[in-house]
Amino acid sequence: MTTQLDMHDIQGNIVFGYGKFGYPVGRYLFFKFSNGKKARQFVLDLMPLITTSAPLQAQKRGRGKDSGDAQAAKVSATTNVAFTYGGLKWLGLPDQSMRSFPQDFRMGMQARKAILGDDGPSDPSHWDPIWQRPGDVHMFLSINAVGPAQLDARYAEIKQRVEQAAGGVELLTGHRGPAGKADLEYQAGRVVTVDGKPTAKEHFHYTDGISDPFFKGQSKNDQDLIGAGKPTGGDPATKAGWAALETGEFLLGHRDEAHEYPEAPQPRLLSYNGSFMVYRKLHENVGKFSDYLTRTSEQYGSSGMSAEERRETLKAKFAGRWSNGAPLATYPSYEEAQKFGKAWDAAVGTLFFDPSATEKQKAAARKEYEQLKIKRRGFDFNADLSGARCPVGAHVRRSNPRGALQFGRKGAFETPGALVDRRRILRRGLPYGDSSDRASDDGDHGIVFMAINASIERQFEFLQQQWLNYGNDFKLSNEKDALLGNHGKDAEGNPSGRVAINGDAETGQPPFLCAGMPRFVETRGGDYFFIPSLTALRMIGEGIVDPT
Amino acid sequence: MGNSINQAYGLTALLPIRHGAENNESFDKILRDKLQAFSLLETSPLAKVPNTYLSRAFILNDVFYEGAPAIEEHLANKYLVFSSNFHGSLDDYLQGMWEAISGLLQDLLCHCVGFQAVDSAKAFIKYMKRCQVDNSLFFNGSNDKSLPEQLKALYVKQAFIHFAYQTQHLRMQGEEGAAQLQAAFQRFVELIDIDNFDGPSWPVAATEVPAFIEQTVSAAISGEGVGS
Repeated sequence: MTTQLDMHDIQGNIVFGYGKFGYPVGRYLFFKFSNGKKARQFVLDLMPLITTSAPLQAQKRGRGKDSGDAQAAKVSATTNVAFTYGGLKWLGLPDQSMRSFPQDFRMGMQARKAILGDDGPSDPSHWDPIWQRPGDVHMFLSINAVGPAQLDARYAEIKQRVEQAAGGVELLTGHRGPAGKADLEYQAGRVVTVDGKPTAKEHFHYTDGISDPFFKGQSKNDQDLIGAGKPTGGDPATKAGWAALETGEFLLGHRDEAHEYPEAPQPRLLSYNGSFMVYRKLHENVGKFSDYLTRTSEQYGSSGMSAEERRETLKAKFAGRWSNGAPLATYPSYEEAQKFGKAWDAAVGTLFFDPSATEKQKAAARKEYEQLKIKRRGFDFNADLSGARCPVGAHVRRSNPRGALQFGRKGAFETPGALVDRRRILRRGLPYGDSSDRASDDGDHGIVFMAINASIERQFEFLQQQWLNYGNDFKLSNEKDALLGNHGKDAEGNPSGRVAINGDAETGQPPFLCAGMPRFVETRGGDYFFIPSLTALRMIGEGIVDPT
Repeated sequence: MGNSINQAYGLTALLPIRHGAENNESFDKILRDKLQAFSLLETSPLAKVPNTYLSRAFILNDVFYEGAPAIEEHLANKYLVFSSNFHGSLDDYLQGMWEAISGLLQDLLCHCVGFQAVDSAKAFIKYMKRCQVDNSLFFNGSNDKSLPEQLKALYVKQAFIHFAYQTQHLRMQGEEGAAQLQAAFQRFVELIDIDNFDGPSWPVAATEVPAFIEQTVSAAISGEGVGS
């Protein structure tokens, strides 16, 4: 039976990665409560602003009913909220409900630092000032907007409600921003601009956020399933290669991949259609990355390759994708990747940036664009188990093995992918800051990373601990992810990260060993949040949650 | 009988502990205190026993009561449980154990029933065999090689990784690089002395990569002579 979800009850950040839906700017706000009654009223006051997972066109205020008109203007700014364990306590949830939350969420991110590998420069003592008193962060609020004016307008609406709640709700300051200031009252996010154009890139200039899981009931567009569900063993370039993940991997109260309801707080109405969210501010050391890549790639490849080709190829080997998003599994060579990039730029240019394009040209471009999008996602590693194309330890392969950890279909498990299918996360967020000085690590730029999952411990934390900061599941011993791993230092204080790039017998490329790798990404803050459904949000606001 | 798989042997022995006390301390307590004072890994006395893959000792206080409707049962004695995975025959292993740590065994096991009469390797082998329990399940987590050979293999693998990291740049330096690589490899082969299991090798029970491996490989590559 088809899963029917009440999209009007589910907060919009669970289904929409807003950046990809035409909201290139965002702000992340954090609040401290000091009066339960005022905090609850604040929650109720915010409810009319909350964006749901219903089509964004249908949510435009004043439009009334869902018109179903795909051409209608979409809502110009979005708002979503979530709470820490401490925040829910202030909101007056009954003790019995509080005790029913899972341990990971109750402890919060700082207390889980050993699991997450937040050590050295990522240690909480180096986080932005707002995170120096983790007990103070009670509520998260995100705004995403179609442009700066709409962002400002929504921000003003929120601020007005904060003023009304004065004495009970405080907007926390202490976000580090550009120019070394660490007293900002929100974390800004915006897409990275390269050569004056907005892009889907992060600060290392990889195209980011291409693959996200697809779960039952999420979307009617089954083309979205390709490369996003769980592998069926069929052709990964087609729908037959993928099946939707169970809803309960991402939404509480629904059946999950273990064929049961996920662990969730009580009563059921409190958790139903809700989820857990990880918020992390990740700084990117652009200077270190550029320098390391340039230096190391001099030794990489063969004598016929240009410096640019060596550099770009090694960069792709770290990620498993070329900078333009083309997957190594499908586009193993530099030439093929360049060809993909040109086709992509042409289609996107005609479709979105060429006012003189005719309808016919646009239709052709759209067809091409849709096909290329599927090319970016619809692949697996079955023809590349040795990692000759996409290294076994490449970032996209570690974080989403796409069936590569299944050792045959006969044996102990009825569904060999069962364990991997329980480690998927919805990735949300936006880049922040400016990195136009490509030689510097300083400044404040990186990614506001959010992961949404039913179990922080089983999904996000497992990925972080076992697949990014460790390599045993990939037979890579204690090797870490090149990009996100918490590479350490040796006794003399020199960077000591090591990553092996598999060789390729077909092209005669021997294995390549990257040594002395510094830590490219550092944690600068974050915490664990609960995203209630709209129903639960109202019940929390009204103070009527009753677990008995 | 599931006690051996090819050259790997799994020994499980339950040594009954005598009832009684000394200086107001029961024998099982004295035994546990001594066991828990063992140091770990390469400094453990069990690391001195040849061909040990993995071994473990603990005291079994009693059988576990599973709750109603199970019948509550009790052991007549407490037992020292010793389990070990090793390479080779049981007789050879126990012989080697006696030769390596007989003083410690006598001090440790004097409170076990009937151990007082054990004063030789032969008597020790006989005693342990009387206490042996056949394994119903035995997972062999090791390969079929002797311990010195396995340790040598670990050492060679680690040394070669260091060699590869430190010499891969020579690939890009034409014929001169090739000659350098060949010379370095010859010195490396000399250094690792691959057929000699006595050394250089991975230290018994070491769980961290010993620093000497990288140091000696670096010295060999740079031609500074093979360090000791």
